[in-house]
Amino acid sequence: MIFYILRRILYAIPIALGVSVVCFSLVYIAPGDPLQTVMPPDATAETIEIVKHAYGFDKPIPIQYVIWLGHLLTGDLGMSIATRRPVILEVTDALANTSLLALFAVPLSFIIGYTMGAVAGCFPGRWLDRLVTGTAVVGVSLPNYWLGIVLVVFFAVEYSLLPATGMGPSGSTNFHIFEWSSARYLVLPVFTLAMIPIGILARTTRAAVAEVRNQDFVQTLRAKGLSEFAVIRHVLKNSLPQVMAVMGLQFGYLLGGSILVETVFTWPGSGFLLSKAIINRDVPVLQGTILTLSLVFVATNLVVDLLQSLVDPRIRRA
Amino acid sequence: MSDIALDKPAETFDEQAAPATQVRSYWQSVFYRLRHDPVTLFFAAIVLLVVLAAIFAPLIAPFDPYKESIIARLKPFGWKDHWLGTDELGRDMLSRLIYGGRVSLLMGVVPVLIASLVGGMLGVVGGFAGGRLNTAIMRTMDVFYAFPSVLLAVAIAGAMGGGIGNGMMALTLVFIPPMCRVAETATTQIRSLDYIEAARATGAGTFKVIRYHVLGNVLGPVFVYASSLVSVSILLASGLSFLGLGVRPPTPDWGLMLSTLRQSIYVVPFVCAAPGAVIFVTSISFNLVSDGLRAAMDVRM
Amino acid sequence: MSGKLFRLLSIAAWVAAMLCLTGGARASGVLTVAMTAGDIPVTTGTPDQGAEGLRFVGYNLYDALTLWNLQLGDKPTDIKPGLATSWHIDPNDHKRWIFELRHGVKWHDGCDFTADDVLWNMKYSADDKAPEFNPAQFAQARAYLGTYQSVEKVDDYTVAINTKVPDSLLPYEFAQVVMISPCRAKEVKYDWTQYALHPSGTGPYKFDKFVAHQRLELVPNTDYWDKNRVPKQDRLVLIPMPEASTRTAALLSGEVNWIEAPSPDAIDRLKSAGMQIVTRIYPHNWSYQLNFIKGPFTDKRVRQAANYALNRGEVKELLNGLALEEYGTVPPTLPYYGHPIEYKYDPDKAKALLKEAGCMPCKVTFAISTSGSGQMQPLPMNELVKSQMDAVGFEVTLDTMDWNALLQVTREGVDAHPEINGINVSRGSQDPFNALIRHVWTPLWAPKGANWGHYSNPEVDRLVVDILSEFDSEKRLDLLTKLHEKMNEEAVMIFVVHDVNPRALAPSVHGFVQAQNWYQDLTPVSVSP
Repeated sequence: MIFYILRRILYAIPIALGVSVVCFSLVYIAPGDPLQTVMPPDATAETIEIVKHAYGFDKPIPIQYVIWLGHLLTGDLGMSIATRRPVILEVTDALANTSLLALFAVPLSFIIGYTMGAVAGCFPGRWLDRLVTGTAVVGVSLPNYWLGIVLVVFFAVEYSLLPATGMGPSGSTNFHIFEWSSARYLVLPVFTLAMIPIGILARTTRAAVAEVRNQDFVQTLRAKGLSEFAVIRHVLKNSLPQVMAVMGLQFGYLLGGSILVETVFTWPGSGFLLSKAIINRDVPVLQGTILTLSLVFVATNLVVDLLQSLVDPRIRRA
Repeated sequence: MSDIALDKPAETFDEQAAPATQVRSYWQSVFYRLRHDPVTLFFAAIVLLVVLAAIFAPLIAPFDPYKESIIARLKPFGWKDHWLGTDELGRDMLSRLIYGGRVSLLMGVVPVLIASLVGGMLGVVGGFAGGRLNTAIMRTMDVFYAFPSVLLAVAIAGAMGGGIGNGMMALTLVFIPPMCRVAETATTQIRSLDYIEAARATGAGTFKVIRYHVLGNVLGPVFVYASSLVSVSILLASGLSFLGLGVRPPTPDWGLMLSTLRQSIYVVPFVCAAPGAVIFVTSISFNLVSDGLRAAMDVRM
Repeated sequence: MSGKLFRLLSIAAWVAAMLCLTGGARASGVLTVAMTAGDIPVTTGTPDQGAEGLRFVGYNLYDALTLWNLQLGDKPTDIKPGLATSWHIDPNDHKRWIFELRHGVKWHDGCDFTADDVLWNMKYSADDKAPEFNPAQFAQARAYLGTYQSVEKVDDYTVAINTKVPDSLLPYEFAQVVMISPCRAKEVKYDWTQYALHPSGTGPYKFDKFVAHQRLELVPNTDYWDKNRVPKQDRLVLIPMPEASTRTAALLSGEVNWIEAPSPDAIDRLKSAGMQIVTRIYPHNWSYQLNFIKGPFTDKRVRQAANYALNRGEVKELLNGLALEEYGTVPPTLPYYGHPIEYKYDPDKAKALLKEAGCMPCKVTFAISTSGSGQMQPLPMNELVKSQMDAVGFEVTLDTMDWNALLQVTREGVDAHPEINGINVSRGSQDPFNALIRHVWTPLWAPKGANWGHYSNPEVDRLVVDILSEFDSEKRLDLLTKLHEKMNEEAVMIFVVHDVNPRALAPSVHGFVQAQNWYQDLTPVSVSP
């Protein structure tokens, strides 16, 4: 058991390295000189050489990678070109804000998605099943940023019920989750973000519940004389592991894929930071954000895998 | 089983059950199931409509999608022959949506196609060869799997500076790992089956074995999975355009139209919402057709 | 018991009543501004994020030697005394400006302002051998220090600034070079990241709070040296919101009470919600700087044809009326506007000119951006211009890029981009150097200066040198007018429209006087509850 855990963790390391190579090389597939945003308007050739040397752009690429990796391991992701703050600070601040959204979106999508899927799985083929399945498909086929725009127009502008943008009257520093004045800023972004996970979870749950229901032990339980209600409880309990696994992965997806929703709501999270870094060609922030988000995703996958194998030893992936 | 009529005792059971138990080839049974699945057929018709509209755009679009008119800006549905109104530069929305289908379908289908070919090939090769080669291929794929798809697409497209070519390349790279994995899983399953061993024992060359036995069984899952990816690709592509990383104006594209019309949402809200509705309808149609195909082809993922 | 309670309550009521009464007379309210900037402008001196940086941060935290007089709405602006009370050119040496400094000014941290501070600041901005040199500040201030050579201390309250060539317009340039506190800088041991979190200047606002990417909060400096400009709000909050529709939504939902540059299409909605829409013609131009080395625009007839091809009225309509037709780099409100040719919409004349020049069809490529400070609504506007030019015989290709990339193209100049025939970069033009000289003077060919297309004309160069050496403002005005008219006649740019600086204010915002300038004075604004 321990060996499996160790092996799994060890296996994640080359993946993380591979991720770092991809992130690093993003700079070099980009057109144009990575140096352009740092330069004063009319820099002389001499100035350019000095700055190049200071940023280390004059060394061969593999060496630059190793140096970059070295800095990475000490937690130094460089300095943002746009704001001149350390990238690690920018990324952790932003990630904290996105995590807030994900932390609320995941349980919400679980509650709604699981309920929908369970109901559909228990009554396969009936109108309830079709309704749920239809809704789930709608959820994954709708452009979620579009839904966000529509919600803003309806709830914020037309009827002034909820705020349109941002994280609150004092931004992220004075955010009190348990006070409505701050929490109301969470409502629309969380709902928008939860849309796709609800769809995915509903479908997964439905499939899991339907599959479990068809297993032999369910017949056995009925034969033993348990009420339908108790049988359903057993079915749901057994379908949970699969669904939990998917939910765990959704958390990772939400962290990494929140860019569109955050752009619509101007939520100062990692996705928003990323889109600004792209616009400003702020290469250190671009690299740092993508790297951090992917590594968090790798870590999330690892944790989900381990938890799954702990809960159900039959599920082991080499 | 409505085919079995219980009030006709003269026929034998076999005769009564004939329509449903008729021995069919695999593909015949696929079509049989599809023909009797109204939902899938309906959405397949929508897909066909969208595709045809995009192909024959010059013939069916009522106006020139690039023609601007300052006096005709931001008009609502039905204004003077503009069934879906006009955009912020006075261009006809319906025409732009029809032409926009070209770009959106292109960015939806081409990356999936290429990813299926490349990823599928890699997966078959890896799955068939097994051992070190397989591990090498799959581990490389795992690295790309480590990125959430939206993030990877945005990162690649963003780093390369946007544009339709870069957007398609980014999406292709995003889809190769999952296609590869699907193909590899299917190949590995087939490979270990006895009849492959038997074929090889009779001296059949590797390529022949792959062509006749492996491919036939791998194409099914790959095809179904690819069809489900098209809807994701359309959504991702529109997202890229929305962020400014896709096509450049004035090319009509649904995601880009959503982005530029966002500013005018207080003037003609329904016109501004139209591209989103179109993306939704196309995406859900592809999704449901893919589901139908999966059920008809009886593919277990 | 109840008697005591009653007395307590009545005292409380009385206190509350007094507070309410006096509250009405006090400065009131929180002004929350949504800027078009993509991020919060840096607080370490001359800010980034374009003109909004100076408008909202630079001139609020800091002062410069000279300041723009932003208190007049109906007259064009000029410079007035800031940290310097007067200035004059040294009669014996036209390359030496003498500035008399203001007495009794204190930095926010309590230190006194003296001539040594000016010397320190110039080292901070320009001397790369000095320990206090900040390369970021250098990059930002560079544009205004073109002719600057050195500074000397004459006495504790007088400095002399030496220039490389006679520059009569130096005081205008120095209005953009704000001074930061050497006391505070030394306190943080020149750690500029730390300084940015604790900036100290002489300006009407003091720094209070900063949340990266989200908000900057400033509070009034009650000890400000200009008693007429102590801010009348309780607090100024600045929020970056680069998307126009987001700004509109924020104002309509009450999250902010002031937005910059609302989308023209949202104006009607804003008006119907009771918002105040303020606009004013000011020196700003939205135009195309042209390629004078290669391509069709080397021929004056083609340049003029492009100008005649434009239906500027349509562009104005596209912007819901929020623009002014443009025929030169400055609007008619400036004294040196003169009598330029009004390139009124004349497609036939345009066609004839193109035919004469032998350019049919005339293929040109413009580099444009998707957004940016002062760029107004670049995509729809460019598409409209393209269709108007295409209609007379041009074949316009739009090369779209993001704002920073376009600024990079601008900095590099035409040699690095010979295939681009025009760049669409908007400019503020409130002082003669920025309005006229920097675009047409030969020594300022990019990448050395802002003359992107390498325009060169010996007559214009002579005119510029005359202007810079003419220290009599009447005579100089004549020369400036000549230069403006010459630039218009030569069609050195494709002139499209002047912006009108639109902004939308909530009904609770009072006291704002919109100046005819890129920059604005927020100090007289109050917000009623």
